[in-house]
Amino acid sequence: MKRWARSESFSAWAFMTPGLVFLAIFTFWPILYGIPLALTDYSVIAETRYVGFENFTRAFQDHNFTVSLWNSLVYVLIVPIIQVISILMAILVNSRLPGVKMFRAAYYIPVVTSMVAVALIWSWLLGNNGVVNYLLIQAGIIDGQVSWLSSSSTALYVLMFITMWKGLGYYMMLYLAGLQGIPSDLYEAARVDGAGPLRLVVHVTIPLLRPHILFCTLISIMGAVRVFDEVYILTKGGPGTSTLTSSVYIFQKGLEQFNFGYASALGLIVSVIIGALSILVFRFNRKGGVNSY
Amino acid sequence: MNTTSRSFKQLKNGVRYSVIYLLLILLALFMMGPFLWLLSVSLMPGRNVFSSPPAILPTFIDFDNYVQVWQFMSFPRYITNTVIIAGLGVVFNVLLASTTAYPLAVFHFKGRNFVFTLLIATMIIPSSTAMIVHYLTIQAFHLGNSYLGVVLPAAVSVFNIFLMRQTFLGIPSDIRDSGKMDGASELRIFWQLVLPLVKPGIAVIVLLEVMAFWNNFLWPIVILDDPEKYPLAAALTYLNGQFSYNFGWIAAGTMISVIPIIVVFLFTQKYYMEGIAGAIKG
Repeated sequence: MKRWARSESFSAWAFMTPGLVFLAIFTFWPILYGIPLALTDYSVIAETRYVGFENFTRAFQDHNFTVSLWNSLVYVLIVPIIQVISILMAILVNSRLPGVKMFRAAYYIPVVTSMVAVALIWSWLLGNNGVVNYLLIQAGIIDGQVSWLSSSSTALYVLMFITMWKGLGYYMMLYLAGLQGIPSDLYEAARVDGAGPLRLVVHVTIPLLRPHILFCTLISIMGAVRVFDEVYILTKGGPGTSTLTSSVYIFQKGLEQFNFGYASALGLIVSVIIGALSILVFRFNRKGGVNSY
Repeated sequence: MNTTSRSFKQLKNGVRYSVIYLLLILLALFMMGPFLWLLSVSLMPGRNVFSSPPAILPTFIDFDNYVQVWQFMSFPRYITNTVIIAGLGVVFNVLLASTTAYPLAVFHFKGRNFVFTLLIATMIIPSSTAMIVHYLTIQAFHLGNSYLGVVLPAAVSVFNIFLMRQTFLGIPSDIRDSGKMDGASELRIFWQLVLPLVKPGIAVIVLLEVMAFWNNFLWPIVILDDPEKYPLAAALTYLNGQFSYNFGWIAAGTMISVIPIIVVFLFTQKYYMEGIAGAIKG
């Protein structure tokens, strides 16, 4: 007993216990408990009973849910756009020019600002009499005012744009870290072989950024499927169901209408979809050899 | 011959730099423009945001909006709430992440790989239901409507554990060995010898968590029944609902909530960005 108490194993577990207890309660437990919860009609109003797969069959007949899934999948379309723009931004701010660090900071500021503030600013800029309409009309791009956030044909795309705008700086920093890890003699060698700037990017930069591209793609897919704050603050899923994303719908069912069982079932379905998407991305990038940590 | 080719090269470089700077400036306008406009609106007298054509630059600057919104909303209280919540969150995260990461970096023990896999699995398995279960858990602990209820679900994150492990891996093993020679306990070695050496890692967690808790609005609204306990970002949504017509006030209120975090970021960006980058290194 005494020897165990002095062993490394004992100290290791002693150190880790507090952290693991918290993780168990707030990270592992929600994953596990979500499953039995999804098989019940748990809510605050009535007694809980076991309903089997009823929640799941109900989910696929629930028009709002299928619409929300579709909107979430549309949302994923911003992922490749974010990757392309943020890689270009990273290449730009990686140049050794005076003042370039100032620009890095400027691009990062939307990331550290709260979504509440960002959503407020954009909702004003995008208003009928707002700056965006004014500038676009002045530039002759649109003929009349567009109700960007209250028209069902534009609202979802506008939200996607705001998500992209806020996130670009974050991905730029991750790619910048990747760029700074590329040895400069690789560029020298390619230059000696007569490669121009474009070929350097395509044949040296992009292949060497592969692990970063995989990592960023994965986290931005998860972010896009889980998108909540901007949608909740700006449109609450409306007008109609045009911006109803799966997280917003799960939140409405769970924490606004207190249908915990049904919301858990919806959550499980979305989790399976995110899992499948992640595996797909991994397959596409099998050579990437990601070591996210 | 030599001079003409050199001046050609200079010209080419000059054009290249101009193009790069032009792109950098355009992007900066795109990313910063909305904030500058918010600043501009907050300094405009009256409520002329939606006048036509929209006011972009103030005709004259005054701070009335700031004075009025400060008098109307109890900013000191919301800021105090935010500081309490962020403070608790930082303490929990620093203590729990470093104690959990330390053995994973330096000890050899059975189960190490198991714990590691378990941690990585939580990042791959997403859980949209987490918030609902958190709500039930917090209510079961009778911590609804309390600061602890706001903080506990985010008291430790796998991300921070990996960040700290990364830092601990950089500590030379001689440090621990010398502590052992002197007969110090593991806890003492950790607290007095190792922890002071990982201050940069701790600083990164402090920064990340201060920002995360400062900006968090949804969970506090869900768990706190009493708006008096709201942190700043949550209070701001409240202000927006109440005074959606008074843009100057909301703009000033938003600036007040945004400026502290931007200032913190600008002064600490070096550590912050190293931390973000370090998290995805192998």
